Parts: sequence; C-alpha cells; structure tokens
Amino acid sequence: MQVDFAAKELTVKLVYYGPALSGKTSNLRAIHWLGTSSTCGELMTLETQNDRTLFFDMLPISIASRSGLKIRLKLFTVPGQVMHDATRRLVLQAADGVAFIADSQRSEADANRESFLNLKKNLEENGIDPERIPIIIQFNKRDLDDVRTDEELAAIAKQSRETIYKAVATRGYGVMQTLTGLIRETWTKLDEEHGLEEKFGISPLRFMNEIESQLKHDARRAER
Amino acid sequence: MMHDETSAGDILMGDVVRLEDVLSRDSVTSVSKSFFSLFGLPVRVISHEGDLLADVHRDQPLCSYLNTLADGAHRCAATVSTVRDLEPNGEPIVHPCFTGAVYRVVPLVYQGRPIGRFLVGPYVPSEANGPPASLTSVEGAVDPNTARGHYDRMPRVREEIAEQLCDHLKGVIELLVFSGHRAQLASTMQVASVRENYRELAEKNEALKDSYEELKQLDKLKSTFLATVSHELRTPLTSIIGYTEMLESGAAGALNGGQTEFLQTIRGKADELLGLISSLLDLGRLEAKDLELHHEAVDARALLSAIGSTIVPAVNRRNITLDIQVAEGTPKVWGDAVRLRQILLNLADNAVKFTAEGGTVTLSAREGELELGGPSGLGAALFASARPAVVLTVRDTGIGIEESKLARVFDAFYQVDGGTTRAHGGAGLGLSIVKQLVDGHEGTIEVASTLGQGTLFTVALPAADDDA
Repeated sequence: MQVDFAAKELTVKLVYYGPALSGKTSNLRAIHWLGTSSTCGELMTLETQNDRTLFFDMLPISIASRSGLKIRLKLFTVPGQVMHDATRRLVLQAADGVAFIADSQRSEADANRESFLNLKKNLEENGIDPERIPIIIQFNKRDLDDVRTDEELAAIAKQSRETIYKAVATRGYGVMQTLTGLIRETWTKLDEEHGLEEKFGISPLRFMNEIESQLKHDARRAER
Repeated sequence: MMHDETSAGDILMGDVVRLEDVLSRDSVTSVSKSFFSLFGLPVRVISHEGDLLADVHRDQPLCSYLNTLADGAHRCAATVSTVRDLEPNGEPIVHPCFTGAVYRVVPLVYQGRPIGRFLVGPYVPSEANGPPASLTSVEGAVDPNTARGHYDRMPRVREEIAEQLCDHLKGVIELLVFSGHRAQLASTMQVASVRENYRELAEKNEALKDSYEELKQLDKLKSTFLATVSHELRTPLTSIIGYTEMLESGAAGALNGGQTEFLQTIRGKADELLGLISSLLDLGRLEAKDLELHHEAVDARALLSAIGSTIVPAVNRRNITLDIQVAEGTPKVWGDAVRLRQILLNLADNAVKFTAEGGTVTLSAREGELELGGPSGLGAALFASARPAVVLTVRDTGIGIEESKLARVFDAFYQVDGGTTRAHGGAGLGLSIVKQLVDGHEGTIEVASTLGQGTLFTVALPAADDDA
C-alpha cells in the first residue's frame, strides 16, 4: 500500500494469481468491461502473440470517496505458465491482497494445488507472510463440463479458511463479487494494521458501501 | 508495509513516475504540430513538474506589436506566466488575455493522477464582439487601428469547437502516455525478470557447488578409510600367514597328511585375502594420489615373458594357447617395473579367467604414439603433441563384454555381470587399479570387445628415451 497524505490518496495493490489458463486475464477483462469508464482506467496487457500473459496485465481503478479520500486500486495478473516464475515473484512484490483464480475442472486440480504452493513460496520470498495476507479463492469456469459440483464447493467452502467464490469470468459472472470480496478483506486487514479509519475518518463498512454502490449496477449487468 | 512515494514503489505499483519518462518529446511535438497545422491553434505541453515538453506556436502579429511597448510586453509576460502556472484540477480552465484572446488549459490525467497539462492558445473565441477595452488601454500610445487589424487576424474558433478539439488532443496525448507507459513497464519487467532469473540461477549454482565440494570430501574420506582399514587388516593377516608357514615347515613338530593339506588351504585362502587387501590399499593410495612410481626403462620383451611364465600354470591347466608377440624395434617402456607388471598381470589374469578351454590369449608389444591432451580437430596443432609410446595389448577369445557395459569396466567394484564374481572370483577392483596405474604413468588404456568372440585391451605407455 502506498499512502500520500498530502493528496489524501491511497494506492492498494491486488494480485490475481493462479495456474496457467485459469482465467486471470479474463477476470480483469470482465471488470474492465463491466466497470464504468470514470472508475476503471485502461486495461494494460503485456502479452505474447498467442494471447498468453508475458509479464502481467494491469487494470487501474480509481474511487473517490465522499470523505475526500482518493483510493486507487491496482489490479495485476501474473503470468501463469510455470517458466515465468521470476516474473510472478516480481509482480507479487508489495501485494496487499491476492485473488487466487482456480480452474473448476476436475482435471486441473493438480495444477491448482501446484500454483497455490507456488504462491505461498513466492509470497514468502517477497517477505510477505502467507498466513497474514488476505487471500480469496475463485473457482472459475463453472460453465464447463466435468467441474467440481456446487455441492462439492459448498463442502470445500465450509472447511476453507479462504472465502470461496464461483465465476464464469468470460461472461462476467461472479467477477465483481470476487473483486468486492477481495477489496473487503484487504481493506479490513489494512484498517487493522494501519488504522485507516482513524487516519482518514472512513469506516470499513462505509468504505465498502461506497465501493459496492459504484460496482453494484455493473454487477447486475453481468448476471443478466 | 507502508511505502513512501519513491520511484521504486511507483514501479512496483505500475505507476508513471514522470511524464517525461513515458512520453517522447518527439512524438508529442509532432502531434502538436499536426494539431497546429490543421486548426491553427498553438499548443504547449507541460509536465506536472513544470517542464515544457512540446511548444508549437507562431508569434501572433498582435502579440509582437504589443511587445514593442513596455507596458504591453509587461502585461503579456504576466499573462503567459500566469497561464503556464495554472494547474486545472479536473476540469479545463479558460483564461482570458487582456487582448481579448483566451488560453485553454487542459489537465492530463493518467490512472487517476494528474501528470501534466497542455495549453491551447492564444485564440479569439468566435463568439467575441470585437476587442475589449483593455487592449487599447495599454500605456504608450496603442494605435487602435493597427491593434484592431492585428486582432482580426488572430486565430478564431468557437468555444464549443475548441472544447471538442481539446478533448480530442487530450485523448491522443493520454493514449501516447499509455503506450509509452506500456513500453516502459515491458522493458523494466524484462530487465527485472532477467535479473531475478540470474539471481535464482546463481543461487542454485552456489548450492550445487557446495554439494559437489561435500561429495568430494566424502570421496576423500572413503579413500582414507579404505587405506586405513586395508592397512589394519594386513597386519594380523601377515601373522596368520607367517605362523601357517612355520607350522607347514614343521617348526612346531611333524604334521600328518591331513594337517598339511588343511594348512595349505589356509595358506592359499590367506594369500588370496592378502592380494585383495593389497588391491584395496593400492586403490586407496591411487585415489588419494599418493602412490609413488619409480620410473626406469623397462624392456617390453622381458616384461611380457615374465608375465607369460607367471600365467603358464593356469594356461596349461585350461588348455589355452598363449602367444607372445614383440615387434622388431619396440622401444623400452618408461615406467615403474613393479607397477607395469601389476598392470599386465591383471589384464592377462582376466584374459585367462574369461577364456574357455582351447582358446587363445595373446600378449603383444609394438611401437606407437601417444596423443597427449587437447581435442582433435580445431586447433589440434596447438593442443596435441604426439609422444613415442609402447603399445601393449592383451587379447583373448573369451566371452566378451556387452557394448553398453564397456564404459564402466574401469569403475571400482564394477562387475560386468554380478554372477561372474561367483564363477570367476575377484572383487571388481583389478581394472580400476589398472586404469589408475596407467593414468599414473600418463598412458592410455582402451577396451574393445565383441560379445562371444573376445576382448582386446590396448595400453599405450610412454617410451623411454633412447639413451635411457
């Protein structure tokens, strides 16, 4: 997190992590498509010719709170392919929260697990305690065949420390819930650590209401 | 972790640090030029820090005229300076000049942060009804007709159109910033990724080096252990052999036939054990590189004959033909006579051991050359130096060795077939010692074999100088 007290501006870094082809970029594309132009900036993608993420994608979101506080959310994706580990580690630097995008297909269970272990390792190498950073998990590609069933996910969610979200990112379903969920957990954590309410006079509840009111309309657009 | 607003932090967050870093002066100037040539409106682009990145304008006759008057020049400079320092917050600012012209100051925003601004003007809004009174109120005798004439030639545009044009220019410049930023991030990430990969590889290399050193230490420890244990085993064994010999010679009284036979068996087995222990000791010393060689000129014919007579009993027992061939003019070998004998005896013993009854074992010696060091091919002239050598061969017509196993026959404790240990004896140390001894003589050893037809060992050793 970066804080500029003079400008009353706060920058929060959120990273979308996960195995190759699990839909990290699709999440950002959907947010960009659903977000209003006043809130969402341009989606920047640094990709190879065949649309695979090379370095990262970045989507800036600016929210002006009624309290006068300006919040800049920086959404990043990492490249999922195994060989880009060094780049993943770099992108993960100074992350405030992580959305782990898992592939719901049964065949991808191993890839999900491996990527999550890789996330833990890279967080540690960046001096971030995986136990303390907010992480949420999204099970993407709910529209495909041979995916884990809703019942299975409900059972998993009961045991999981991380909140579980379901999504079909290519159609925009669930991406806003995932994003607001991640923002909520990240904000709560940052508030605990840095006393944001005291410093900027904005309570987590009010903050989330403001965020959600700016994203709510768009979320409905996806579900239709 | 709270970060101050440092450039490193900004790069981590994917932010633009300075407009100059992502917006090339050339491209923003050429965009401004085309804007000016299309609409006749002057453009200046200024960074958040106040640096002028593009300045495309033509001096207006009205401004030039007023600048000839002290008060006009003063007022003009004041206006320009005010306009340049204007920092619009969100919405564009339209700032009037005393001449009746206006300047439009438009903020440039990127990812929710102000990064600079551009000025368009001076121009006269088409909606204006002639020059204001302030134009002619300049002290120092303004000629109203001249001023009016120049005023009429100022660029004109309707405010609504000016606003649209500025919106368009803002979009273009912000797009340039976006592409510039994208390129900057890509190259920054490229360099950072390479550096990170390098760091990771360097760490792994360091770890590999450490484990290699550790293995080397272990290997050394093994050699030392081997030497110590062999030495400790040999001492009591020597006593056993000594006392057995004394018993055999009747030093403790006469023996009956059965006792003599048993003692001979004990002697035989003890000698076998001593041979094995000596081999281990040799190997230990050879691996520790502390075996001393006493070089002298050794006659090849005498060497082979001695070997021949040593193996004759075994050869005769198995009905094997022994053939010794020494070519004319074979030079003497430069080496340690005892060790040379060990090398050849080992090879000859093996040959006899693996040759079936009725087969042939051939020992030969001839003159040859030793290629020393360096690869063949490129630069061979610089690296290789041939040295006169004696080539000794041991050929048998035995069972042969599979091609895939040839490469390992010189490894310590390696047996081509685990079963051969039981059938033929030996601990798999012989060839390993032979190899080390040949290496110690700066010679070479090669093996060729055809399964079922036999094996050929070729040893090349340095020849002694003629006068040796």
